[in-house]
Amino acid sequence: MKETVQYKIFKVINVLILLLVIYVTLFPFLNVVAQSFSGQAEINAGKVNLIPKGFNLTTYQTILHDKTFWTSYRNTIVYTVLGTVIAMVMTTTFAYVLSKKRLMGRKFFTSMAIFTMFFNGGLIPNYILIKNLGWTNTIWAIVIPGAISIFNMLIMKSFFEAMPEELEEAASIDGSSTYGTFLKIILPLSKPILATMVLFYAVGNWNSWFGAFLYLDQSDKFPVTLYLRNLLAGATSGQSAGATSADDLQQIGANIKAVTMVLTVLPILMVYPFVQKYFVSGIMLGSVKQ
Amino acid sequence: MKQVVEVSKPTHELQVPVITTPKRSLVLKALRKDWQLYSLLVLPIIYLLIFKYIPMIGNVIAFRRFIPGGNIFGEEWVGLHYFQMFVGDAAFWQVFKNTLITSSLTLLFCFPAPIIIALLLNEIKSKKFKKFVQTASYLPHFLSVVIISGMILQLTSTSGAINSLIQLFGGKPILFMQDPHWFRPVYVASEVWQTMGWGAILYLAALTNIDDSLYEAAKIDGANRWKQTIHITIPGILPTVITLLILNIGNIMAVGFEKILLIYNPLNFETSDVISTYLFRIGLQSSNFSYATAIGLFESIIGLILVFSANFLSKKFTDNGLW
Amino acid sequence: MAKILKKLAFLVAIVTALSSLLAGCSSDKSSSTTASAPKDKGVAMADYGVGKTFKATKPISFTTMYNDAAWYAFKKDWLLWSEITKRTNVTLKPTVVPMSDYAQKRSLLISSGDAPLIIPKTYPGQETPFVSSGAILPISDYVKYMPNFMDKVKKWNLQPEIDNLRQADGKYYVLPGLHEEVWPDYTLAVRTDIFEKNNIAIPKTWDEFEAALKKLKEIYPDVTPFSDRWSTSGSVSPLGALLQYAAPTFGTVGGWGTSNYVTFDQDKNKFVFAGASKEYKEMLTYFNGLIKEGLLDKESLSQSDDQAVQKFVNGKSFVISSNSQEIVTMRTSMDKTLGAGKYSIAKIDVPGGPKGNVIAGSRLENGIMISAKAKDDPNFKALLQFIDWFWYSDEGEELAKWGVEGTTYKKENGKRVLMPDINFLGLNPSGTKDLRVDYGFGTGSFAYGGTTDLLQSTMSEEEVKFQDSMHQNKKVLPVNPPYPMSATDQEQATLISTPLTDTVKQNTAKFILGTRPLSEWNAYVSELKAKGMDKYLDMVNKAYQDYQKKSK
Repeated sequence: MKETVQYKIFKVINVLILLLVIYVTLFPFLNVVAQSFSGQAEINAGKVNLIPKGFNLTTYQTILHDKTFWTSYRNTIVYTVLGTVIAMVMTTTFAYVLSKKRLMGRKFFTSMAIFTMFFNGGLIPNYILIKNLGWTNTIWAIVIPGAISIFNMLIMKSFFEAMPEELEEAASIDGSSTYGTFLKIILPLSKPILATMVLFYAVGNWNSWFGAFLYLDQSDKFPVTLYLRNLLAGATSGQSAGATSADDLQQIGANIKAVTMVLTVLPILMVYPFVQKYFVSGIMLGSVKQ
Repeated sequence: MKQVVEVSKPTHELQVPVITTPKRSLVLKALRKDWQLYSLLVLPIIYLLIFKYIPMIGNVIAFRRFIPGGNIFGEEWVGLHYFQMFVGDAAFWQVFKNTLITSSLTLLFCFPAPIIIALLLNEIKSKKFKKFVQTASYLPHFLSVVIISGMILQLTSTSGAINSLIQLFGGKPILFMQDPHWFRPVYVASEVWQTMGWGAILYLAALTNIDDSLYEAAKIDGANRWKQTIHITIPGILPTVITLLILNIGNIMAVGFEKILLIYNPLNFETSDVISTYLFRIGLQSSNFSYATAIGLFESIIGLILVFSANFLSKKFTDNGLW
Repeated sequence: MAKILKKLAFLVAIVTALSSLLAGCSSDKSSSTTASAPKDKGVAMADYGVGKTFKATKPISFTTMYNDAAWYAFKKDWLLWSEITKRTNVTLKPTVVPMSDYAQKRSLLISSGDAPLIIPKTYPGQETPFVSSGAILPISDYVKYMPNFMDKVKKWNLQPEIDNLRQADGKYYVLPGLHEEVWPDYTLAVRTDIFEKNNIAIPKTWDEFEAALKKLKEIYPDVTPFSDRWSTSGSVSPLGALLQYAAPTFGTVGGWGTSNYVTFDQDKNKFVFAGASKEYKEMLTYFNGLIKEGLLDKESLSQSDDQAVQKFVNGKSFVISSNSQEIVTMRTSMDKTLGAGKYSIAKIDVPGGPKGNVIAGSRLENGIMISAKAKDDPNFKALLQFIDWFWYSDEGEELAKWGVEGTTYKKENGKRVLMPDINFLGLNPSGTKDLRVDYGFGTGSFAYGGTTDLLQSTMSEEEVKFQDSMHQNKKVLPVNPPYPMSATDQEQATLISTPLTDTVKQNTAKFILGTRPLSEWNAYVSELKAKGMDKYLDMVNKAYQDYQKKSK
């Protein structure tokens, strides 16, 4: 009973702390969202807090009416889906192989991978490599170079290593091949980490603009992040146009940052709930018959 | 009758048949047994070789003079010329010091925060509240660095929220961004705020991997929640924690460039200026790729040494490591 | 299979390259050969000259970098492209680069040997890193084939400024945009209604400015009258814009106006370090005075532009640095915050200082680099003529800026006027089409430089008035002579100059704020000496002397 009282107090404090967390994280975000719908005078005067003031859709309209915006959005979706699929396949297999203690040369290959985290060639060699592969201006230049994040791979590897060995032994006794064990047993039990990695890769791909900037030189292939980044640079350097009046120009300049952010975050916010449902415990229950 | 069994001691001349297979056939044997496993290695290794190792050759320009537009491998050997250049540059060591200090402070505070959040969330029974906190907490991760820097400058201004609070308690407003002593706290705080929610996701995933039956068994044994946390939860996520810790230690030389660039100013250079921003300013006057590459190699070597050391220590004390 | 073979072939290429590297051959890339006549297979115009429209005898194409601003995103079907082809028989093949990172990609493309022939949007000075590799054409060898360029240089007496672009080998490598006159933009913007209300005359000198601010402070004790911006954006420099236009009036350089704080002393015929000069000290003393008297807001040195503007548009300050674009933006905000008609703001002439009514500035701007590969292009001569026509002829400049007469604009009483349905920068608010977005004219990639008449054709009346007043009342100071250094020397020089510049900026801020008393000035100069100021000056002066000797 004593412990329950202590625990009760802890639970209350816990909730308070987490409410504080919500306050410092959610409110700034809502402030930005509010700005994206507000008028420039109110923004410039610093009067916008959590609710839009001087409700104004000019910036949204200007962007959403621009055909280029939609083309680049479509590009981003393609790049993200393809890039994430490729990355997941490569990273998961790599992590699995390296997690097997019986693999000869395991240390060697792992070191080989870790080494690449610290040494890279720089912009020019990478550019020339892609050029020589004939991949400039193609989707491959976007999805392949970032296919394996060694960081992610190592995390996945540690998850695989934490799985009980009896699982695999049981499977191989049953006559399953390595491929089979991997696909039918290990993967289904790794849903939390797989979901997490899908999220990480997808978000990474979604937000990336640098590869596109380096290797693409046709603007109809640009992803939306590059488009928006360019927009932002143009607006802040005062080169805005695409609007039909001087008024619009300034309105856009005032909240382009906020609008850009909302447009970039929105899809992720919509996808995240799907990922969250994989964070369900108890998957391991009953999978190993002792 | 006594039977003496003579056991003849084998001398070392005696050939004891030991199966010593030459190394080559060991490899072949492993390959044949685990060919499926090795087949899965092929693509990743090819990927590493082509997209990571081949471009690494470009690093040679740290030892050769590179002129933009000329030979991509540089024009002529200059040996350690560029390394000597930064070793002898007092300004470099100042920003090196800043990089280390800022990075270590960031690590010190940013590393535990997501873990704590994940553990706290783990204690929440209401699924709705849990999901809500989780989603809210990772939102800052998505705010672009431009927006965040604007927020930081706004918050720390004389009319901003922090100074309003200070004045409420009767203090004098502090010009945070003009005082070198305040830069690091401001920067680290903003980093913690931005990363704590997103970082927690990984730990939450790790937490779901802990077998529920362990908790049940512990409850039966009479352990309270706190003891359960110490003996089950923490060991359960320890591999993930160790992996991330080692990786982050290795990354110590890579301090967030863009954010610092947007919030620093000459008044706080003493503490805010890091290697990447320093190189940026040098590059504005003359793009010296060779110099930047030499410094990059220096940072890489430090990172590598740190990772190896961290891994070695962690294996010694916790049996967990990267490899 | 083919892919694997291709990859193998590439690996072989790598090995070969590696072996060439191991051989350690160094190549002398200085362009010391005299230029031969540009290649031409009869494509160039035989009788091309000023006043003539360039037209190639055969359809040809040239690759060019294109600076893509998202607001008027690149479109393949712009009238601009087809009109160029119609008039000149040249089709441009653009490599589209987002403006947000244009300089970086340009550097990457040139460094990897993959640059297009024409590389526009290059500011004079940005071509220097690429000179010693020979990747960029020494255009000075070929300007004799560019009659419009030469004509404007002669007409507007620009040769001294062009000579400033010469590198150590005596040649210059960038074709700058040419202005007939200096185009001042940054200055102080004030609440003219507040000044009028309190009978304060618009100040014409810095002393008058200080007096005016004092009076404002007496009348409005709760307001710090001057809160400035541009300390944290752009190239980070305390009070970057303010010092840029104020420094020349004090006889020195500062803010954005300098990257390394060296300036040329005409009397001594050598370069001196502005950051340690007594003129610089005088300027800092002046602004420190403003801070001490509570006339200049301390936060000016660290706040974001947004914060400074907020104070101004909300009436919490009365003076701020501005340019022609910002003044319009602020007005729109103030119509809402203070109410239209209840206030008025305007740019005032830059106040005069101890050295009189002077401004610094160059008449050269944004220009073009040409890839050295052009030399081997069979249509080289046509390329030169095309660039000359499109960027330097009156006709080409007008096309780039205004478009096609009759379609996008017409001439009324000698003045250019947009067609009724077409808008450009708010000059025709009722238009449904935009000159840039829909037609590709008036963009930052092609439309720069030109006659004052052309430049002012798109300015507002207020801005034209400002320009005229500045031209009348201010004398333009001569620019620094060149001091080109060899690549090795440049490496060294940059390493010394960056910490020097940092020290100057830091102490500029500290002295102005008062966190460091001006009595410590000599200690500060000693610190500069310890950081290598004298060594740097020696390098600069030596380079200057060497160059002077060579060009004799």
